[in-house]
Amino acid sequence: MGGAGMNTDSWSDLLADLLPGLALSLQLTAAMLAMGLPLGLLMAVGLSQKRKYVSVPTLALVEIGRGIPALVLLYMIYFGLPQAGMSLDAFLSAAVGLAISFASYTSEVFRAGLAAVPHGQREAGHALGLPRTVIFLRVLLPQALKIIVPPLLGWAIIYFQATSLAFALAVPELMSRAYVLATTNFQYLNMLALAAGLYAAISIPLSLLSEHMNRRGSRTATS
Amino acid sequence: MNVAMQQSTSPPTAAAESRYAAEAQNVTVEFHGHKAVDNVSLGIAKGEVCAIIGPSGSGKSTLLRTFNHLQEPTSGQILINGRPTVPGSRKPKPADLMQLRRTVGMCFQSFNLFPHLTALENIMLAQTKALGRSKDEARERGRHLLERVGLEAKANARPSQCSGGQQQRIAIARALALDPEIMLFDEPTSALDPELGAEVLAVMRELADSGMTMLVVTHEMNFAEDVAEHLVFMADGVIVEQGDPSSVLRSPQQERTQKFLRAVNGR
Ligand SMILES: Nc1ncnc2c1ncn2[C@@H]1O[C@H](COP(=O)(O)OP(=O)(O)O)[C@@H](O)[C@H]1O
Ligand SMILES: [Mg+2]
Repeated sequence: MGGAGMNTDSWSDLLADLLPGLALSLQLTAAMLAMGLPLGLLMAVGLSQKRKYVSVPTLALVEIGRGIPALVLLYMIYFGLPQAGMSLDAFLSAAVGLAISFASYTSEVFRAGLAAVPHGQREAGHALGLPRTVIFLRVLLPQALKIIVPPLLGWAIIYFQATSLAFALAVPELMSRAYVLATTNFQYLNMLALAAGLYAAISIPLSLLSEHMNRRGSRTATS
Repeated sequence: MNVAMQQSTSPPTAAAESRYAAEAQNVTVEFHGHKAVDNVSLGIAKGEVCAIIGPSGSGKSTLLRTFNHLQEPTSGQILINGRPTVPGSRKPKPADLMQLRRTVGMCFQSFNLFPHLTALENIMLAQTKALGRSKDEARERGRHLLERVGLEAKANARPSQCSGGQQQRIAIARALALDPEIMLFDEPTSALDPELGAEVLAVMRELADSGMTMLVVTHEMNFAEDVAEHLVFMADGVIVEQGDPSSVLRSPQQERTQKFLRAVNGR
């Protein structure tokens, strides 16, 4: 059945039409990570504060970020913020919404990674008269990253796929490009299958890499 | 008589006149209502090596850690060169603590080297980030110190590539890089096999000979007798007996001390 439609455009032509969409999806992922990673780290620091007036509001933010479906966040930012006198374009709305969701989920990964660094490391830093920021950035974070990076990569893959939600804001990313092209050439199955293949082509190698790092990490941790 | 010794300390009138490089005055540390250190006063003279012995849980580490404020005393105060570490009754400011820790270095039982950095980088970090030395200066000083502890060959090795004894010697070099006036050691050889402990003790002996003021929590009775000028026996958060190491070790006056030394020597 696909053959009937295939005589107009070859696979490679269709693929070429989709590639700008993939490029935009990757840009969206990069923008999401650029905001979401620091925000997730910041939330983790907030969560691990002893002072309740810092940790409790942070926890509330994290729960809200995880409790609201990412699509609802995107809509709230794109359609809701203008009512509050602030408007972002569709791309930025999608990036910010996904970043908030991503940060809320990964804050726990960051927190657990930092908590896994032995207490003696912080103590040694203090005993050497190092400023707190140096202890955090030069002593604790590099050690935590070894634990954090594999699960973080897993989350990044999930959120790369979640950039397809930006379709709802008419951002011409991979999913919306596949759909829009399909409405003109009526090759819905082929277009969506191609888009799926492109998502998978990025996701699967990265998730294999994440698993590989995970295995290597747990091996060195136990040896 | 030990009471007299403990109370012979009168507060210094001026910083410059202090006989003590480091002094604890009526220091108490409470954890959940339990006094881990109970109203302890202890002075360490300049250039003196003071060893603290005692059963585990007697508050040795807790007392030691008050000297660089890794442990905040619940009451009482610490004086370094006659000056209180926390002037007045206010909480210590981060800048005061950082300054204090440049003057009072510390080595831990578990070394606590930074595992993601090489030996040399471990020694350089605080020099550049706490003292503001240039990288070249810090590297040169680091190499010199590694040489002093006999480990110049390990400059580019990670801690995981070094033996426990080597790691502790690197940790000593790391602390010395800040040119401290006083060094604290919390059971520096307890995690080590005897041979590896011996190479660490040799470095500490050399450090003592060079005139460093040292406060050492230890189970090494030989080291305490040979190297220390001042021995303190602690139990249940108080100093039970102190004085000349040989006299305390060979003719302890207090029953609690005798019991502890019998148990140690009986091993
Ligand atoms: N951070 C802490 N929190 C609660 N209790 C502590 C803490 N540190 C030490 N203690 C308690 O204080 C007492 C003295 O401990 P410590 O100074 O480590 O003894 P030592 O070094 O002589 O073995 C012990 O009963 C110990 O359980
Ligand atoms: Mg101890």
